[in-house]
Amino acid sequence: MTGTPVIQTRDLTKSYGGVAAVRGLNLSVEPNRITAFLGQNGAGKSTTIKMLLGMVRPSCGDGTVLGKRITDAKENCEMRRSVAYVAENKPLYGYMTVEQTIRFASSLYSDWRTNVAKKLLNEYKLPLQRKVKSLSKGMRTKLALLLAFARRPELLILDEPSEGLDPVGIELLLQMLVAQASQGVPIFFSSHQIAEVERVADDICILDNGRLLVNASLDHLRESYRRIDLVFPFAPPEYEFQIAGVERIHSQGHEMRVFASKNAEAVIEHARDLNAVSVEVAPVALRDIFLETVKEN
Amino acid sequence: MQLMQQIRHAAETGALRDGDQLPGIRTLAEELVVSPNTVAKAYSELEHDGLLELRQGSGAFVCVKRRTRSLADHVQAARRRLGDLIERLREEGLLDEEIKRAFEAELLYPAGIVRKR
Amino acid sequence: MLWYKAWLETRSRFLTSLATLTVFCAVFVHHAQGILRPEWTPAYNRLLYIAQQYIVVLWILAVVLLGMGGIVREKATGASLLTLSLPVSRALLLGVRVGVGVLEAIILAVVPWTAIFLVSSHAGMPILVSQVGFYVLLLVAGGLVYFAMAILVSCLVEGEYTAPAMAFGVVFLTIIAFDAWLRPLNLWRLITGDFYIDRHTYLLSAHFPWLGALACLFVSAVMLLVSVKVVQRREF
Repeated sequence: MTGTPVIQTRDLTKSYGGVAAVRGLNLSVEPNRITAFLGQNGAGKSTTIKMLLGMVRPSCGDGTVLGKRITDAKENCEMRRSVAYVAENKPLYGYMTVEQTIRFASSLYSDWRTNVAKKLLNEYKLPLQRKVKSLSKGMRTKLALLLAFARRPELLILDEPSEGLDPVGIELLLQMLVAQASQGVPIFFSSHQIAEVERVADDICILDNGRLLVNASLDHLRESYRRIDLVFPFAPPEYEFQIAGVERIHSQGHEMRVFASKNAEAVIEHARDLNAVSVEVAPVALRDIFLETVKEN
Repeated sequence: MQLMQQIRHAAETGALRDGDQLPGIRTLAEELVVSPNTVAKAYSELEHDGLLELRQGSGAFVCVKRRTRSLADHVQAARRRLGDLIERLREEGLLDEEIKRAFEAELLYPAGIVRKR
Repeated sequence: MLWYKAWLETRSRFLTSLATLTVFCAVFVHHAQGILRPEWTPAYNRLLYIAQQYIVVLWILAVVLLGMGGIVREKATGASLLTLSLPVSRALLLGVRVGVGVLEAIILAVVPWTAIFLVSSHAGMPILVSQVGFYVLLLVAGGLVYFAMAILVSCLVEGEYTAPAMAFGVVFLTIIAFDAWLRPLNLWRLITGDFYIDRHTYLLSAHFPWLGALACLFVSAVMLLVSVKVVQRREF
């Protein structure tokens, strides 16, 4: 189901001093999908999101969110009306009570859902009259997430949403996420929890050192990535396997392990041509796709 | 994928009967905590296979036809044969993990076909 | 609700300052009442003139404190990414903060002087409303420059405690600078009424310094405009 991308960037770049935090990013996030944004710490995920929301100015390049240009302050402000965002540190105002926080947020967004807010308040068991600064970390995380989930935005952006949550909280989070997605809200979230990502994500973006290395659907990744274990009667010829699609080759002794992002058949054929003694093919789990992708870079 | 297999299995064993209604995409997605697109894809592929009938506005209904039932019998028979094969491989000294990898490898890239060219 | 947020943020600072100023004034007048006779009007007026100087000090300190905060400070407390994701412009956020601060500053000038007026009248030493008005107007018109300076510092300097430290430092420096070099332009003397006091009657005479007040407001406006630009260019 593709339409106009809800997020689209063109050569988005951000440098701090001489160091590039984000380089030439061409990101495309589709509507009606749950897109996960993976990357190591410091890969540039938060910087990218901040550029999208007008908190940081790109060094060069441009982008649109919901069709509005991110580099135009006015358009960006307008766009933020329909975007719900929870930053990594789950920001809140310590001096407000839970109730004041909710009233504050609900007054600024026309897409606020009071009934959903009430339901979440009960589920999360948040004490209305308590000041935010005296809430536990888990409760603060839940409140920060509530501010986004009690809305029906046109786009939901979450930066490491499960950080700070216990397993029960994570399950609730995923339920809320899926509930939003079921209503047609596109979700763009960054996460380190590969297991959770595999459950709910439709599309995967992998960022490493500021570069977008992978931008594909999870189904496509599962269908194309293959781990091929080969055994040769002689020392494995690595150079023979530098063909299109091969991401990484490890060899040890007579054994060679090839990670291919596509064209696995070509690798297998080639291996047989070279008289490989054993050829074993297996699918690659998302965790390994991620690890191999960022290691190689 | 897993969801499709589960529904197929339920239909084959009779847990799901002809005419039974499956939960809506949204409901099932929220229940299983998976992306609604995953459920939608599973339903549409099952519809393509003839196992489900998606009625606009009403939902997804199971169609267990004769074909499916006989397919279920085939699958039962195949499982018995596989069971025998696995036992024999174990007796030959293969570990379960090795057997599993061999199956996966053959399924994905059958050695016979590639060699033939 | 942005106004409510700004109010919640400055509430305790404001109320504490208000209480301090008002109590100070009431005590001052009450104390003065004990040592003066009605016929010593010029002496009483002189005391009022001295009161203004104390009030000015306290008021400027309070107002500088009220000017602290904003999204740059929120960066240190971790709330900036929430404020910046709101569908409001940075200029509006600053504008609301300034608006609330100015209102609070005006109240902080009016209430203590009203207290003095009421207590004096009650004690049988009435003072002219025009005098009270003069003092209040001098305070606000001239003193808001310090508020604007505090706003500018809060937009430039990160850190929960660095910003107020710097702002108070600037206040201190200006006092020295005005005293040492800029005598004719001494903002301090303008606010305390030093330029207009009649040394015999200790009443503020002469006309209200509209030109001086306008100059101050102009300087304040410039500083606020610069603050807006600074905050718009900043990255978070």
